[in-house]
Amino acid sequence: MSSFPLGDRGPSSMPAILRPPAILIVTALLFGLAALAVPRFGTLGNIENVLRIAAILGIVACGQAIVVILAGIEFSFGASAALASVVIVMALPATGVVGAFLLGGLLIVAIGMVNGLLVARFSVPPVIATLGMLMIASGLAAWLAGGLPIDAPPSDTFSWPARGRVLGIPVPILIAAAAFTLLHVLLARSRLGRGWYLVGANATAARLAGLSVPRLVFSGYAVAGLFCALGAVILTSRVASGQPMLAPNLPFETIAACAVGGLPLGGGRGNVLQVVCGVLIVAMLNNIVVLLNLPTAYQLILLGTLVVTAVLLQRDWAFLGQAVRLLTNGRRG
Amino acid sequence: MSPAIASRLLIAPAGILAAGLVFAAIAPGFLSLGNAGSIAGQGWVLVLLATGQMFALAARGFDISVGAIAALAGTLAAMAANSFGLVGLLAAPLVGFACGTLNGWLVGRLALQPIVATLGSLVALKGVALLVSDDGQAVPLVDAGHATSLAFDPVLGLPPLAWLALACVLEAQFLLSHATLGKRILMLGANPEAVGLVGADAGALQIRAYQLCGLFAGLAGALMTARAGAGLPTEGAGMELQAIAAAIIGGTALSGGVANAIAVTAGAFFVQVVLTGLNLTGVSPFLAQVTVGLVILGSGLMDTALRSFLARNRQPKDISP
Repeated sequence: MSSFPLGDRGPSSMPAILRPPAILIVTALLFGLAALAVPRFGTLGNIENVLRIAAILGIVACGQAIVVILAGIEFSFGASAALASVVIVMALPATGVVGAFLLGGLLIVAIGMVNGLLVARFSVPPVIATLGMLMIASGLAAWLAGGLPIDAPPSDTFSWPARGRVLGIPVPILIAAAAFTLLHVLLARSRLGRGWYLVGANATAARLAGLSVPRLVFSGYAVAGLFCALGAVILTSRVASGQPMLAPNLPFETIAACAVGGLPLGGGRGNVLQVVCGVLIVAMLNNIVVLLNLPTAYQLILLGTLVVTAVLLQRDWAFLGQAVRLLTNGRRG
Repeated sequence: MSPAIASRLLIAPAGILAAGLVFAAIAPGFLSLGNAGSIAGQGWVLVLLATGQMFALAARGFDISVGAIAALAGTLAAMAANSFGLVGLLAAPLVGFACGTLNGWLVGRLALQPIVATLGSLVALKGVALLVSDDGQAVPLVDAGHATSLAFDPVLGLPPLAWLALACVLEAQFLLSHATLGKRILMLGANPEAVGLVGADAGALQIRAYQLCGLFAGLAGALMTARAGAGLPTEGAGMELQAIAAAIIGGTALSGGVANAIAVTAGAFFVQVVLTGLNLTGVSPFLAQVTVGLVILGSGLMDTALRSFLARNRQPKDISP
């Protein structure tokens, strides 16, 4: 059984022409089916709603994608977004809106840098480093806020990132478009991105080729923090408060989006279109659960199942054949 | 036992001693008999979770779903107990075993990365727990009085359920040191190719390791339910992290192949001593959570440091400076 029938896993051999249409078709099919089968899904208002949610998820997923390409994983996004939201609201009286957003954003970048340092310099496994950081950040957020959400004084500037419109288009969607563009430039056009692919595909080979692996890994986690910071600002603006439990499922949803889009969690591959499609699929499914009036618990069940099936499918599109063999032999070929 | 492994296993007891000394100095009442008893009674949920995690780590795996498994198993067991009496709590290890089988199958047969498989089941099982409990409502035990007395009233120094947990831990250690299954799991972690050479099925061993992990998570769920007098579907979030930290501090190597249930128990009690000590000093529970996060990072750093230390000492003497 060949798990990687595509030869070497560098960015150049990404089947850029073959694979993206496949995931695009899946996304379009899901959209079409939902529009036909789910009441109110296809209305303009609902589509805008899905896009707004997908925007925040997508911005953070850009960060997750970088970490995943580096063969890592980032669990601390939700907790650091929560910590940033608390810090933003607390700093508001002293620094003004823009200063508070900057402060909160820088905090998340700093957290990303610490994660990067732990993984790159001290070879702590990414799971351990980011899970530990999750606990630290969410503990700090709850401690600072006293365990309860703190309200931000309402102001137009504060709610602009989430509710504003430019030329009729909601600001989060514009920021998401900018984030996806930035990610595309980073991954496909920059030396940094090329380094990330090489490190993710084979760190030893990258080191032997003369790349500074620790520096690349560190920069990856830091840039990932930057994307998360953008998402956290919009989230804080949307809830207009500092929430110690802001987005506990954010890391799971972004990992799911990457996996569904077809990024191998083993690292080394992935492009922006895959991230966009993965994000849209996750956002549409969450929206469908809400529209069908199912308990939100189904969102979690769906998300978990999705991660596993997506990874199985993208690892080997011949998985179905493998499953048949499994049933007939009881053993994996 | 090589000195390298022995030093791994001594970290947790040393940590307990150090933390004990620090808190004895700063926390009034830390050294009292009552406090020792409360630590000895409280730590067992974590001990069981960490012992389960130990099996997954020993096979070079990883299970971040143990908290979710414990919450689901504890909730279903509370429902079973309300229908069939307290015997129904035994449903918890069964549920845990089933969840572990699922994880094991995903890793051992479908060759998913452990983190992907258990992340998927973490999220999905959380959802199932919410679903069966009407969106996270606690399930109170009808016979809560008996359950809590089993969990709290000491008999010969420890509550009966703590004795039971201790027996499970000893059984786990016996499995590792004397049974073929345990030795094979350790061998799988130390050198996956060797397992094939002795004619064992690596996939089957991985399934067994995750089944043991799930079983212990289920036992932890039953204990949680008995202690709270209710099944708590949303409890256990964050416990998986403490369990991972406890297992690593208890000398389990993240790279697999080294595990000792007694040392893991000490690792769990180290975490419990720190939490209780912080509580007694009047530190906010949120800052205690921060401390646990630091402990997790510390355990990761420790594992890395030990590994590179061992790698350095394995080289011939004459290249050392």
